[in-house]
Amino acid sequence: MRPGGGIVSGSSLPGLLVGAGLIILAGSVFGVILGLQSEMTPGDNVGSSIAHVLGFTLLQASLSTILAMSVGVAVAWALCHQQRFPGRGLLVALLATSMVLPTIVVVLGLVTVFGRNGWLNHVADLGNLSIGGAIYGLGGIIIAHVFMDGPFVARGLLQRLEAIPAEHLKLGRSLNLSAWQRFRLIEWPAMATTLPGFSAIVFLLCFTSFPIVLILGGSPKFNTLEVAIYEAIKLEFDLGRAMQLALVQLAVCGGLVMLAAGYRPQDASISTSAARPIWPEPRRIIIVQAAIIGLFLAFFLSPLISVLIDGLAADLTGLFADSTFQRALGTSLVVALLSSAVTLACALAIALAKRDLASPLRMAQNRRTRLVSWLLSFSGMLYMAMPALVLGLGFFVIARASGVDTTRAAPLVVVIANVLIALPFALAILVPAAEKAALRFDRQALSLRLKGLARWRIVEWPLIRAELGFAAALSFCFSFGDLGVIALFGSRDFATLPWLLYQKMGSYRTTEAAGIALILFVVVLVVFVVVPRLFQGRRYAQT
Amino acid sequence: MNFKKLFAKKSFTATQQGTKGVTMYRIFSCLLIALLGVVVNAAQAADKPVLTIYTYDAFAADWGPAPKIKKAFEGQCDCQLDFVATDSSIGILRKIQLEGAATKADIALGLDSNLTDVAGKTGLFAAHNADAGALSLPIAWQNTTFLPFDYGYFAFVYNSEKVKAAPASFEALAALPDDFKIVIQDPRSSTPGLGLLLWVKKTYGDKAAVLWKRLAPKILTVTKGWSDAYGLFLKGEADMVLSYTTSPAYHLIAEKDARFKAAAFDEGHYMQVEVAAIVKSSKQQQLARRFMQFMLSGDFQSVIPTTNWMYPAANTAGDLPKGFDTLHMPKTSLLMSGAEVEKNRKVWFGEWLAALNR
Repeated sequence: MRPGGGIVSGSSLPGLLVGAGLIILAGSVFGVILGLQSEMTPGDNVGSSIAHVLGFTLLQASLSTILAMSVGVAVAWALCHQQRFPGRGLLVALLATSMVLPTIVVVLGLVTVFGRNGWLNHVADLGNLSIGGAIYGLGGIIIAHVFMDGPFVARGLLQRLEAIPAEHLKLGRSLNLSAWQRFRLIEWPAMATTLPGFSAIVFLLCFTSFPIVLILGGSPKFNTLEVAIYEAIKLEFDLGRAMQLALVQLAVCGGLVMLAAGYRPQDASISTSAARPIWPEPRRIIIVQAAIIGLFLAFFLSPLISVLIDGLAADLTGLFADSTFQRALGTSLVVALLSSAVTLACALAIALAKRDLASPLRMAQNRRTRLVSWLLSFSGMLYMAMPALVLGLGFFVIARASGVDTTRAAPLVVVIANVLIALPFALAILVPAAEKAALRFDRQALSLRLKGLARWRIVEWPLIRAELGFAAALSFCFSFGDLGVIALFGSRDFATLPWLLYQKMGSYRTTEAAGIALILFVVVLVVFVVVPRLFQGRRYAQT
Repeated sequence: MNFKKLFAKKSFTATQQGTKGVTMYRIFSCLLIALLGVVVNAAQAADKPVLTIYTYDAFAADWGPAPKIKKAFEGQCDCQLDFVATDSSIGILRKIQLEGAATKADIALGLDSNLTDVAGKTGLFAAHNADAGALSLPIAWQNTTFLPFDYGYFAFVYNSEKVKAAPASFEALAALPDDFKIVIQDPRSSTPGLGLLLWVKKTYGDKAAVLWKRLAPKILTVTKGWSDAYGLFLKGEADMVLSYTTSPAYHLIAEKDARFKAAAFDEGHYMQVEVAAIVKSSKQQQLARRFMQFMLSGDFQSVIPTTNWMYPAANTAGDLPKGFDTLHMPKTSLLMSGAEVEKNRKVWFGEWLAALNR
């Protein structure tokens, strides 16, 4: 391994292969659907004009992103300075769960609280006030997006804030900085490096949002591109229009993905001590922080509590004794475990390859490596821009063309699809960590000729195990709550929990559906509390 | 020295290794079971002919009609009956279209009468050749490809404790104050949604758009599917939801809850006739025809009311279960031919969209 040599080292090879595979897969999905289009007769379209749909999609995604990011920054800042209050650990674990819960669960939770007959309206009634049906329409779409994505941003930024080197804080304190100066000079720069990445992810999530818009949109005039694609494929079977829309979506999101993929955080600071220096807050700042946390708790916890209450009303013991439920639970667990393992492997391979390409002691100077590195990021994030239905349809046609029985291929396809959905998030978590570990220890490791497993054990593992745990939990839960591709491939013999939940809702069994929602929620929560700890192990003893 | 902490840590590592072992074991055993399942399936398939039916999820569910029908038919056919669930009625057609000639489906069950022309045009279905003499629908049925197995009426369902005076016509509904809210489904994605569109069209003709404009402020939200809409209604979000006249029967019989009622409309109610058809490329034509005939027999028809919550399509079903007598039975049944629907669908969708977009 020559420093700055531009050779593909052993550790970057798997990542490059994975990246190439991802790009080829995306290409073939589009290829087969375009091929299929000639088989089918395209009809004239019924939906609104593409420009109208695109305009509304951009509007709601921009508004949702701005609000979710603001909430994320405020909550991360408040939580970072309030390290000790009862339930804080649980709250931090909860932050990531909102994004991975099945959307229908979240939407019904939000409706229980903010709906026309919701808790908020009942409380407001006492003072003769009412928010009416404000949850329906553009307002509802934005509230739901902030609920799902804001906490995820908060959790990510909180990690950044807690990684601010103690030296910076000590220096700041000795300079007697005010809370505002501290935010502007120390905290904002620490967060700013990750803000574009987070904004891109949130924007993409809102841009491609589907069930939320369908249920809370209120009227067909609130249509997003993803919904229009759904209509084109499912209802009109007009694959020509679907591909047209999918290409518009890919062009807009792909552009954003390209920008985000080329963006690299320059901040190399890494916390060297786990203990935060004590920096007592002035009283009025504490009040502001407590108010932020309190408001956020009310907004964020009440829908989750409503899921809990509705779920407890169901006959849970009866549910657990039901063989259909047991099978669905087992299937979901196995699928989620496999997806999580494969996601982790792919993300790690790409992260290590990107590290090789980014590290100044390796190949960072080379212009070609910069392109390769960009392509790697692009390959991982590409699937955020791919409409789930297009992906599912593509897999379906590929399975058919290769002579595989689609019901037998279902488990494999669902795992692959879940991996693709979770990959961008796993990468966003792992890549900065791997690059930092290299920046910090490459010099020593190279001079000590530490390689392979030995290097992994001594350098990478202790530094990125926490991030690995978070990525593992996230990809597990994404897969566990996913209801994308399964809609095309699911059957009686291959049913997951979210699929069962929809079946129950589709045949009057709303209480049983609420019970399943509760179980989904509890599993997701437990995974977020337990898995990162399994990976963390004796973290503090190492540093 | 903090013993508690030390102890906790030790036991923690132990469980960590323990869970790892158990997890690996579980994964392997699950894979093994899956593999075994494939082998057993293959072995069974070699013994008896298999008839595969594509249907929508609620029909195939464990609490739906499918398990009882499977048992009854397998008891007399010396074959194996498999149901494959899709996510919606239209999903059945799309799945068969996508799979083309390679489809495993022998029968498509659960299409709706409004879709028969769309489905027929694909050329994927063959004549059923069954004796349809037992059919007892409120309308005449001539189609020789698609055979009805049940029917129902679309209606607005409300909670009689909350809504004291339910509207008795579209006119009365439109005249209500705007804080009376209804939830409906999108006609492009949901069969009840399409049913409502046709219901209004059949009643109002050229003036349908005017009525939709008056209804618009009362529409709380338009959902993709029936279940989203019904879920919102049960949460008390809306005063009425578009569903079926038979919906109250579920609450009454399965939940012993008599609060829910269907609003009877003077102009009559639009029908939904659910149909099945034989797939042309099926290699089990004879068995498939046998099933189509079985579909009109008492063994099939008597299962329908309390599993699919619809009316049986044939007079072989015997008496309806107690509770169905409390339901509103429309005097006027409205239905358009599949051909008429197919011809005008796009224009009517456009008109509906324009009226609601205002």
